[in-house]
Amino acid sequence: MWYASRATGVVALLLLTAVMILGLLVTRQGRLPGLPRFAVSGLHRNLSLLAAVFVVIHVLTAVFDGYVDIPITASVIPFTSPYERFWLGLGAVSLDLMLAAIVTSLLRRHLSRRAWRAVHLLAYLSWPVAWVHSMFSSGDLQHGVLLILAIGCAAAVVGGAAWRLIAAARDVPRAERVSVQMSAVHQQPEETTSR
Amino acid sequence: MTTATRQGSGDHVSGMGETGELPRLLPPAGPGGQAPDLTAHLARHGRLPYRERPGVLIGDIEQAGLTGRGGAAFPVHRKLAAVLEAAGRRGKTPTVIANGAESEPASDKDAMLLWLAPHLVLDGLQLAAEAVGADSAILYTHADREHDLGLRLRQALLERQVAGADRVPVQLALAPPRFLAGQETALVSHLAGGPAIPAFTPPRITERGMAGAPTLVQNVETLAHLALIARRGPGWFRAVGTGPEPGSMLATIRRPDGRPRITEVPLGMPLRDLLGDLAPESAVLLGGYHGTWLPAARAAGLSLDNRSLAPAGARVGAGVVISLPADRCGLVETANVVRYLAFESAGQCGPCLNGLPRIAAAFAELARGRSGPRTRADLERWAGLVTGRGACHHPDGTARFVRSALVTFAAEADRHERGRCSATSARPFLPIPAGSARTEKDWM
Repeated sequence: MWYASRATGVVALLLLTAVMILGLLVTRQGRLPGLPRFAVSGLHRNLSLLAAVFVVIHVLTAVFDGYVDIPITASVIPFTSPYERFWLGLGAVSLDLMLAAIVTSLLRRHLSRRAWRAVHLLAYLSWPVAWVHSMFSSGDLQHGVLLILAIGCAAAVVGGAAWRLIAAARDVPRAERVSVQMSAVHQQPEETTSR
Repeated sequence: MTTATRQGSGDHVSGMGETGELPRLLPPAGPGGQAPDLTAHLARHGRLPYRERPGVLIGDIEQAGLTGRGGAAFPVHRKLAAVLEAAGRRGKTPTVIANGAESEPASDKDAMLLWLAPHLVLDGLQLAAEAVGADSAILYTHADREHDLGLRLRQALLERQVAGADRVPVQLALAPPRFLAGQETALVSHLAGGPAIPAFTPPRITERGMAGAPTLVQNVETLAHLALIARRGPGWFRAVGTGPEPGSMLATIRRPDGRPRITEVPLGMPLRDLLGDLAPESAVLLGGYHGTWLPAARAAGLSLDNRSLAPAGARVGAGVVISLPADRCGLVETANVVRYLAFESAGQCGPCLNGLPRIAAAFAELARGRSGPRTRADLERWAGLVTGRGACHHPDGTARFVRSALVTFAAEADRHERGRCSATSARPFLPIPAGSARTEKDWM
């Protein structure tokens, strides 16, 4: 069970990385080759639920395995585990933030856009915390192929976030977007003020 | 004629012979048709019948069956009750807003009402404020009518202040000349100092509107009806109209020269009678630019109430009924309007921002006889793709308008695809406001 816990942990990290990058794409209305825009957000949602399943298995297997003593409460209440108190605490913090994002997304219809977005932004905190937790809770990721994988994940998310910031800075101001679209679809841009 | 002094210049027709009681809202057409001052207004309608306690008026409004006259026809008592309830629950004092920002370029009835009967609207604003326990009120109207209407409204407010008629202070606020400026979340955003763009709901503004307090927004005509129901009772209100849709409403008709004609009619009036000498020859536009085109033959058998119009896919809306003159092309008219509507997108939601310009471009090709074999199918598909996918109903209303044109003018579209057009006049008929938004300032 201990090995199952570590393996699902690694898979969860990979999935969460994919979810992060898809989320960054969704915010900028980016596209993936061969997929329409709405499919990107659908993929983001489905992968996040899949990642949540792996995280839950990762946590439960660690708790119920007798190899080390981790109380179930320590999986959600940070810094209460006798084993690796700090690094597991980070895992609990990340899990709590993740749960908040998932629950608010499932209830999104009943929330204001601002409230939902505020909670969803916590993902930017959740992922790095999860990454640090992965790196230092056990030595698995600290050498070999898994180290390269972990660094690759970090590089991908940092790169994605940078792309998002640049894309946001290049944004057309809201009031000018329609004119830009209108001249783009009419072959010869027409006079708009002549009427 | 009164209205010749107002910018748009149209007429208002009063007195529908067979329904002796009308007009209710507009003053009887007299010499010059001057707006009555407060004294004349009170002489005709009597004093403001304050109920002295919040909530009391709501029962009367429910019995009267008054619905919103801004186009959505939402039951007024339910909105009043929602604001009153939210105010009590959240311990916040509500604000009431009279919405005179008539967004439909084809409609002129709110401007006409404010011009001819400002005191009736302001009475309704006071009574609605009392009904929901509000301590402030705002009268919101279009800035582009400022040089005459704004002055008149300021005078009316001053008169009331001097006479001590108002219990709640009323501020006048001006809307930017945008199609969406009257949409209620856009209105709240604008009054809070931001651009007049629709917001995502929830929260509903009856829950959290101006300064986070429950906010009641009612169309100015709705408030005028409310002021009369408060005085004369629900039974009087129901004396005209149909059972499910009682009362009267202001309708805007357009003559072939484009000038508006405002008339107060009972709900359920046959469109044939309403149009009178403007009998439909080719097609009728119902409900304005978010409305529906119907073939003349179909419209001739219908009446001005939602029960009659619903099977035809149309709605009463804000009472716009326009007969397309026989010498104009419905496709060209529609293309002009769709282009305008695309420019009026707030640019917030992807489907509206990307979809409407594309729909407008394709419709322009159809109107100019340069469409391809797939243009109509594309238009139909895109109209389906944008529907229901915005923060507000701008994409939905535009899609409805486009689809009804494709059906109503199908034969004309066939002709256009063969390079012909049946119109003999190229002069645009449906009114299109000048200028589109270029910068954030145009939305403020």
